[in-house]
Amino acid sequence: MQTDDLITVMVAGHRPVDTRWLRRATWFCALAALTLTTALVLLILGVRADIAGAWLTRPVIAKAMLGASVASIALVLFQRSLRPGLKPGRALPLVAIPVALVAAGALVTLAQAPVEQWSGLIFGRYWRACLVAVPLYALVPLVILYGLARRGAPVDGRLTGACAGLASAGLATLAYSLHCPDDAAPFLATWYTLAIAAVAGLGALLFPRLLRW
Amino acid sequence: MRRKREQITWRELQDVSLQELETQLRPVFLAAVAGDAAAYRLFLDTISMRLRGYLRGMLARAGRTEPGEVEDVLQETLLALHLSQHTYDPASPVTAWAHAIARHKLVDHLRRSGRHAGNLPLDDEAYQLAGPADDAAAEARLDLERAMAALPERTRRLIDRVKLKGASVAEAAQAAGMTETAAKVAIHRGLQAMAHFLSRRGERPE
Repeated sequence: MQTDDLITVMVAGHRPVDTRWLRRATWFCALAALTLTTALVLLILGVRADIAGAWLTRPVIAKAMLGASVASIALVLFQRSLRPGLKPGRALPLVAIPVALVAAGALVTLAQAPVEQWSGLIFGRYWRACLVAVPLYALVPLVILYGLARRGAPVDGRLTGACAGLASAGLATLAYSLHCPDDAAPFLATWYTLAIAAVAGLGALLFPRLLRW
Repeated sequence: MRRKREQITWRELQDVSLQELETQLRPVFLAAVAGDAAAYRLFLDTISMRLRGYLRGMLARAGRTEPGEVEDVLQETLLALHLSQHTYDPASPVTAWAHAIARHKLVDHLRRSGRHAGNLPLDDEAYQLAGPADDAAAEARLDLERAMAALPERTRRLIDRVKLKGASVAEAAQAAGMTETAAKVAIHRGLQAMAHFLSRRGERPE
């Protein structure tokens, strides 16, 4: 078939195209993923025992804000990474802002505490649980975002994967903050950050292999 | 905007700079995305000349000079453009969008055919350097033909009718006993299947 014939066929099958669908779908998928992940956390792990008194305190809000801000930034970049010709990779360092704020908070806390308490502030009671739960629950949004990525045109699979990973970990952080009983800022800065980085790495590793078009 | 579009002809679009091309082509593509088939035709004719020049230059740098190969990658790129129209951001340059897709398909093609794409010059400058538009379509190799052969009978006949006889979709749909909308959906699915076939080919040695 000649190129001119191919063009004739494409024109014959042409219909109006909705260029805003991708953006709507991204936010819809994120919302659905958040709802599903939160439901799973609540069903499997349950809320923290003191949720009634704790949910408006600074540590819980800090956790939720970390998750929400990382997820929001990453989702915007994820959506843009599905559109060829845009260069969302340049804005990726923005994700470091919420992480840096949390790290600064952690340093202030540590500076104000005696050295003997540092270990307790960093490791808390359940650091292993956090390190396992956040990446594990992040798989739910990650699968959903992968399904969406297949409907876009990602020309940089690694970037799309990293953004999807960051967004998924952010959403999982948001959900897990309802359960996690460890409130110290150094704990948040260490284990949540590690968990988020791990999921971002997983996305960056997997997506380029899976997204072929 | 409508009048402006009618004033643009092929000839005028052939040798303009990238900036001019963008200025002229964006309103055309926006009209196409809104459903204007004539604008879509103009967009595809124009961008394919431009991309043929780009792909020929890049393939030559990779040591490939067979014209049929240029045409193959161009056809794959055009299919990808067609199937990815919804990924165009109306606030961004349409030439950058098309070029990013062409580059992706080129790299994919070189990877599949066992050549390293690592030393291809990076996008922006290379696009500028890629030289004049090229309307000398070469004979494509048989890839798209084989992709067609893998389609269901009904879809293949519909596509053949539109392609060969230059029949309008309405006529082709009537001849196939379907509504025009159903015919367009069938053509869309057929093109999707062909793109899928092409991107899978060569994954394993045949």
